[in-house]
Amino acid sequence: MTQTKKPKPGASNAKSKSTLWWIVGGVVGLGLIVALAASIATEPEVDAAIGFGTPTVEGDTLPVYAAGSEDVALGLTAPSVTGADWNGTPVTIEPDGTPKIVIFLAHWCPHCQAEVPVLQEWVDAGNLPDDVELISVATSTDRLRPNWPPQDWLEEEGWTAPVIMDDEIGTVAGNYGMSGTPFYVVLDGESKNLGRLSGQIGTDGFNALVALAQSGG
Amino acid sequence: MSAQSILFYNNFVAILTVVALVAAVGLVVYRLVKGPDAATLLGNSAIWMAWIVALVATVGSLIYSEVIHFVPCRLCWFQRIAMYPLAVILLVGAIRREAVVKYYALPLALIGLAVSIYHNLVQFYPRLEGGSCDPLNPCSARSIEMFGFMDLPFMAGAGFIVIAVLLTFYTKAKE
Repeated sequence: MTQTKKPKPGASNAKSKSTLWWIVGGVVGLGLIVALAASIATEPEVDAAIGFGTPTVEGDTLPVYAAGSEDVALGLTAPSVTGADWNGTPVTIEPDGTPKIVIFLAHWCPHCQAEVPVLQEWVDAGNLPDDVELISVATSTDRLRPNWPPQDWLEEEGWTAPVIMDDEIGTVAGNYGMSGTPFYVVLDGESKNLGRLSGQIGTDGFNALVALAQSGG
Repeated sequence: MSAQSILFYNNFVAILTVVALVAAVGLVVYRLVKGPDAATLLGNSAIWMAWIVALVATVGSLIYSEVIHFVPCRLCWFQRIAMYPLAVILLVGAIRREAVVKYYALPLALIGLAVSIYHNLVQFYPRLEGGSCDPLNPCSARSIEMFGFMDLPFMAGAGFIVIAVLLTFYTKAKE
């Protein structure tokens, strides 16, 4: 006669209890997360305007820049921009006879975070000639992303170039055809586009942009 | 939605990540010390624990995208593709008590972990994905930064590690 092992009394029950506890734990954990999400969703908005400006743009929009190909907007007149930095100091981009290098920066972009100190050091070393103006635009601002707000970041970096705070929909960036950050636009004194490019360029790139601005294309 | 609430949620998820990683390291050490017998430590509970990790990771990522409105980047989607099925597969395997489930789940966890590792590398070395940021949704940009280094792909990677470790502890055969 074959004997079969009988399970120990209560063993199956203990297993069921163990399983039940894990299910309960999972449900409780899920509930906690959902409750947290609900509390987040119902919190009021605060400080919504920090990091943004209210720039106005006049003129024709430049087509979107396609990285890696020839700029189809070469020679087109860039729109004029009237804006301000975070302190309300007016900053403009207009055909005033001075060639300009405009740099668009996003506070959360690691390439911008790497480029800004390099560019500032280059400026501090006296490499930016008096006959070329460097203007920056803080754009693509997102308070949910790290390194917000952009003014704190730029102040920490000792950024000296004038800054135009873009608005929430990136009006200035959109009108200049920005397709990636950092984004450079070189303008002659009459705001004609001499060249655009995106990405980190380093000191050699800065020198090339200055030469382009001074040459007038 | 206030920044403080989001920070609270970020902290909550980051702490969970650290706890889970520490637990996983503890399990690995236990396995190294005890040898094959260590697999009996968690028994059938291992699969349920793995399911809970997958569930929390799935729901947590959905909260980031659907409630906090972070748009998942390309690499985030690849990690989601690996994680979301785990929340279903592991549950079915746990209910049916099938040890074979780890052979379906482990590849998903390891593929997800590989993508997470690459995504973390891209965040630490952004030039791996080019020289500029897509203004809408670059994978090189951090969505959050907890404890000075932890972003969402790190959390996802921790989830995949914990699931993989727990699966190696699951030996329960179908009864």
